[in-house]
Amino acid sequence: MLIGQLGRPAPARTAFAEARFMQVLDRPLVVSGELAWLGGDTLVRHVTRPHEETARIADGKVTQQREGKGERSFSLERAPQLKVLVDSFVALLGGDPRRLRQAFAIARRGDATGAWTLTLTPRELEVARTVATIRIDGQGKEARCMWMQEADGDVAIDLLGSLAAKMPAEPTRESLAALCKGA
Amino acid sequence: MPLRARVALLAGWLLVLALLGLWVTKHLQVGSDLRSFMPAPTTPDQRLLMEQVGEGPGSRLLLLAISGRDEATLAKLSQALAGKLKADPRYAQVLNGSFDLTALDPKLLPYRYLLSPTLDSHALDATFLADELQQRLEDLGSPAASLFKGLLPRDPTLEVLKLAQRWAPARSPQIRDGVWFSPQGEALLLVQTLAPGFDPDAQQEAIAGIEQTLHALPGGRDAELVVSGPGYFSVVASTQTREQADWIGRISTIGFIALLLLAYRSIGSLLLAALPVASGALAGIAALTVIYPQVHGITLAFGFTLLGVAQEYPIRVLSHRRAGEDAVASVRDLWPLLLTAIASACIAYLAFYASGVNGLKQLAVFTIVGLLAAGFSTRYLLPYLLPVRVRDVAALPWLKRLRTAVDALPRPRWVPWAVAVLIVALLALGRGPFWQNDLAALTPLPTDLLLRDARLREALGAPDVRYLLVLEAATPEAVLALSEKLEPKVDALVAGKAVDAIELPSRYLPSAATQRARQQKLPDRATLEQALAQATDGLPFRRDLFAPFVADVETARSLPPLTPQAFAASPLGQRLAAMLVERDGHWVGLGTVSGVHDAAALATLAQGSGGTVRVLDLKGAAESLVIAYRTRILQALLVATLLLVLTISLALRSLRRAWHVLAPMTLATFLVLAVERVAGVQVSLFHLVALILAGGLGLHYALFFERDTGDAAEQRRTLHATLVCVLSALLVFGMLAWATIPVLRAIGLTVSLGVAFHFCLSILMAPHAQAGHAAEE
Repeated sequence: MLIGQLGRPAPARTAFAEARFMQVLDRPLVVSGELAWLGGDTLVRHVTRPHEETARIADGKVTQQREGKGERSFSLERAPQLKVLVDSFVALLGGDPRRLRQAFAIARRGDATGAWTLTLTPRELEVARTVATIRIDGQGKEARCMWMQEADGDVAIDLLGSLAAKMPAEPTRESLAALCKGA
Repeated sequence: MPLRARVALLAGWLLVLALLGLWVTKHLQVGSDLRSFMPAPTTPDQRLLMEQVGEGPGSRLLLLAISGRDEATLAKLSQALAGKLKADPRYAQVLNGSFDLTALDPKLLPYRYLLSPTLDSHALDATFLADELQQRLEDLGSPAASLFKGLLPRDPTLEVLKLAQRWAPARSPQIRDGVWFSPQGEALLLVQTLAPGFDPDAQQEAIAGIEQTLHALPGGRDAELVVSGPGYFSVVASTQTREQADWIGRISTIGFIALLLLAYRSIGSLLLAALPVASGALAGIAALTVIYPQVHGITLAFGFTLLGVAQEYPIRVLSHRRAGEDAVASVRDLWPLLLTAIASACIAYLAFYASGVNGLKQLAVFTIVGLLAAGFSTRYLLPYLLPVRVRDVAALPWLKRLRTAVDALPRPRWVPWAVAVLIVALLALGRGPFWQNDLAALTPLPTDLLLRDARLREALGAPDVRYLLVLEAATPEAVLALSEKLEPKVDALVAGKAVDAIELPSRYLPSAATQRARQQKLPDRATLEQALAQATDGLPFRRDLFAPFVADVETARSLPPLTPQAFAASPLGQRLAAMLVERDGHWVGLGTVSGVHDAAALATLAQGSGGTVRVLDLKGAAESLVIAYRTRILQALLVATLLLVLTISLALRSLRRAWHVLAPMTLATFLVLAVERVAGVQVSLFHLVALILAGGLGLHYALFFERDTGDAAEQRRTLHATLVCVLSALLVFGMLAWATIPVLRAIGLTVSLGVAFHFCLSILMAPHAQAGHAAEE
């Protein structure tokens, strides 16, 4: 089973580069850094560029620390994207298909070359109001990209692992889609 | 009297009672505001206290704790409940810890630039905007993006969030799953009702509304809701008092009927003897209904209890019936003494009227009218209906033996002096304060409720009910200005850990002067657009994204400053309205204080203000109120005593005989005080009221024992009547002494002790018993 194969022992770390395409912005917002799963429900999203910022997600709470600013924390309930991120990430890295199925309706597509796409649709209505779908593109045992499609049309595309270094200076949805497909 | 006439008289009497009853049920308005049972305020602090107790922001606050489900469900319930209650007009404010972006009315949104302190230290220029927009960009790249995305076009400097933070309670509980949780794992909410705190009926409706809403939510059926706060307490107090009074009343009635049946062996006499008291009760209520627009529920409950004295009148008549003698003749013999007893009791109850407390005044009207009606119907109606043939109690063998035994008791002349010495010794022995000055001790609340309240209050950081900051000025605007001037001092106190938090009115609404000063700093459209263009240079924000922001600033430039009246329409304005009240043509601002660690430091806030700022210790004000109230009752008592001495001396036409009536009564009263003091009871107002009642009963005993008829049979009848009276009083008030409510218990215990002492002392100090006994033998 594919989802089981994606599992890693904690702590698992991976580099990421994220491009956010938002209606309020003319061009995408790009940040990069490292995602770490420390076991359990604890995720750390450490941004190193263009600024330093650490977001730690644990016990249903998000604690955000930014360079030169104080700590800020808020409930996970208020940031549905994060909740989705935790649910999908922890389930994937923990190799826990049951948890994944509990939170999402899952559609899977694969081809002969070993490339695959998982599409996760949140089951919880309130989450679905903000996050429409999550799409994970991968090759073999490796997840390469994660697409978070928000309900208002905004989308965040994360390049994971070795692919993170290949984030173009001026990404477009098309160029990123091509990267994810392994072109 | 011929049978037909008797039947007609009875029918007429019953008809009048029925009509009176019908009229009363149609017109009687029963009120439940507990404040009418508290002393009337005289000083400004006391008046403020009473207003606060009833309608102040503190008193309308309900503390809620939801438990019984898992944490995630509780958090959802908390959110859903808050959402529903906010839409309900019965609740002024609902807080559950979640960020409330809707706290500011959408129509008032442009006002955020006048309400937020941002413009005091910054200008909306290119430098400031560039810094803010850079931060927003970082926010958009962060996990919190969805929190800010919607706000961005209209509010890039996040003034709404700054206001929400400013308006959030200063000391908040732990937040889990986005809402407040107690250390015990209950979801916590604060709800402010529109209904005043001390109107139990309105509060009950508000609390029931919360319960129904919660249990109707999905998953809310099995959730447990704990409510606390002054409003809840008033509901508990009024239902408990009502329930216990009903319960005790029922049992006492049954016992009373059994006692009378045993004493007189005649159902007919018993039923007829009930008529004077029924007449008294109905006449009392009718008088109240005519005089007062609303009659307090407690007045009625206590009034019926106090009217128990009136049951003595028919009992005296029944016990003093002689074999073969017409009842009318018996009553005529008895009447002068009975009249003296009625008049004295009325005078004693008059002291209630002089107390100045509305509820006690009503009680006085009810009991005096009731006593008069019962007394006169006993004299002029009852005797014509009583059966002609009766059993003369004087012939009862056990009564003869008892009377002999009572008469054989040694009656040394030193008894009064020994009792007096005992009283002085007991009073001197007693430890601790003599008087109970704490108003809370009069609030009939079980301790576990108070402990639970303290726990929730601590967890929620809800303001103390004890201290209040009072700001006085001519206009609301001047109060707000005064409040702003105080803010740095308050911040210093909080930083110095003298108090945890002080909530000032200016926290919700700055003065018009401050709003205008901020308004002056707002740039015009062209300047702002230019600054914005400069600030967004190099940033990826869409062009024209901030048009709503520019429009809002433009609107804010020409807004009239927000007034408390205009603000009142929004949910937060309600909060402000409770902190800003008009009184006697000037305005008072109320600051709530949480977690006082250093009362002396808090008191320094008032220094140098020339009396415009005061720190009000509600407990102190309450205690001064109680002391003033007690002084008034004591003065009234003194007057009542003088009147009593006068009445009795005139009625008996002898100072010496008056002494024989008044001395046992006085000694017994002080003996009750002394015994309670040694037992560690602190004397409250209710004890005083109970002492007055016991004194009234004791007066009857002494009056009848003092009566020298020179007839041994008549003395036996007196003993019989007094025994029935004492037993019935002990039955009724002994039952009250079992009540769990401190007030009822205080009354029950004091009256029971009093009745016992009055009885014993009036027997021991009766002057002529031996002479009467000798004559018989």
